[in-house]
Amino acid sequence: MVLLASIPQDFLGGIFFILKENYALYYEGIKYTLLISTLGTLLGLLLALVLTILRIQETSKKDGIKERFFKKVATLLSSSYVEFFRGTPMMVQAMIFFYGLARIGFRMPIIVAGLVVVSLNTAAYLTEVLRSGINGIDKGQMEAARAIGLTRGQAFRYVIFPQALKNMLPAIGNELVVNIKDTAVLSVIGVSELFYMGRSVAGTYYRYTEAFVLVALMYLMIVIVMTKLLSFIVKKVNKKEVMLPMSQSVPIEVN
Amino acid sequence: MHILRVENMRKSFGGVEVLHQLNVGFEKGTITTIIGPSGSGKSTLLRTLNQLEEVEEGAIYFYDQDLTKKESNLNQARTKIGMVFQSFYLFENMTVLENCMIGQIKVLKREKHEAKEHAMMYLKKVGMDAFCDRSASSLSGGQKQRVAIARTLSMDPEVLLFDEPTSSLDPEMVGGVLEVMKEIMTEDLTCIVVTHEMDFAKEVSDRILFMDQGNIVLDGSVEEVFENESSERINQFLSRIR
Repeated sequence: MVLLASIPQDFLGGIFFILKENYALYYEGIKYTLLISTLGTLLGLLLALVLTILRIQETSKKDGIKERFFKKVATLLSSSYVEFFRGTPMMVQAMIFFYGLARIGFRMPIIVAGLVVVSLNTAAYLTEVLRSGINGIDKGQMEAARAIGLTRGQAFRYVIFPQALKNMLPAIGNELVVNIKDTAVLSVIGVSELFYMGRSVAGTYYRYTEAFVLVALMYLMIVIVMTKLLSFIVKKVNKKEVMLPMSQSVPIEVN
Repeated sequence: MHILRVENMRKSFGGVEVLHQLNVGFEKGTITTIIGPSGSGKSTLLRTLNQLEEVEEGAIYFYDQDLTKKESNLNQARTKIGMVFQSFYLFENMTVLENCMIGQIKVLKREKHEAKEHAMMYLKKVGMDAFCDRSASSLSGGQKQRVAIARTLSMDPEVLLFDEPTSSLDPEMVGGVLEVMKEIMTEDLTCIVVTHEMDFAKEVSDRILFMDQGNIVLDGSVEEVFENESSERINQFLSRIR
């Protein structure tokens, strides 16, 4: 075999050889890893917003039986969704989703299947993040919004969600970083992301260590760049006006 | 004429009844102050008036509309019944000006420029127009409360509910906010104030309600309530806060 014969036997030499010969493959892999993880995180966030809205339905004394029933069902649906996706490995979900759908005659491009699985999974995690973010907003914000006549929906849209989203930005970034690494499991359904490409390169030369050290370095680089980018964004969003330190006055009970 | 009227209203929290079958009406254009010890139900009564608290029983009429009924147009009524909170609750994600515009645009459906003009007018009235582009979270307590008052006024309310508006303020801020309140209390505005500021209550009120343990114990003019020798409970209360 020409390929096997020409590759240097030492570790560093092997790495450089593999990189030189296969950078296009790795590049393809990085492309899909980035595409699926970023797009998946964004779509997951959108879906999480919907799931959270279903989850936080509050019953009012004025609700009729029908409304109470629908609100209960909505809450139940959302919480079961979250339970299922958090309670099973993404790898297993990917298998069921891809082969399950194929079995009932619904074939889709592998990339799309991978993207959907990542989005569905992300949605489950971010729903929990968003819910705790909303719980962290002072109840008074909702009351003040309702007191000037905004509906509950408007209050969420204009007052509560923007504040919750800002607070959860670091958590969303974290999810993105997790997704960059976790897309590796999509190789089980044949998504040609970075890990998949690494395995294919490794198999070509029977040099698993070198091929995967390269893969690791690439993941590391992507994650470091992404983390820096995210913390830059978070800083930008949280940029505050210069303000002097102020004591928070607390009401005092006078007897 | 009663602009707001409470009929046979009961309110409980977790099985404990905190307001016992209240009946009370508020005349249009009057200023009523509700006083009483902590836990007497003052704030709860105030919060039932714009239905931030739903009630178990009874009716709350705004003009002839029962706000406890599902058919009532509660959100429109709320634009007419403004509320100022103890902890201000400015929308932290918005600027001072946006705080005063969002309700006008989304609920009253005003044009942006019209809403802005209106908001600026009231911000000027409370002395906060110079801060219109500052973020709400960057203000001091007294400034926040003045903006909160402007936010409520921007909706052109007929009733204003004040829920201990100066209780979370530093002492030197209290005077300024009370001044603003006095200034906006015009004849066409009906005000209901829960406060511990007795001097302020005596000065501005047409009527005082003294509440104790979920009941309205005394209801009368400033003189009738503050100089009431016969009620041991109010004397006990007043001697404690003096």
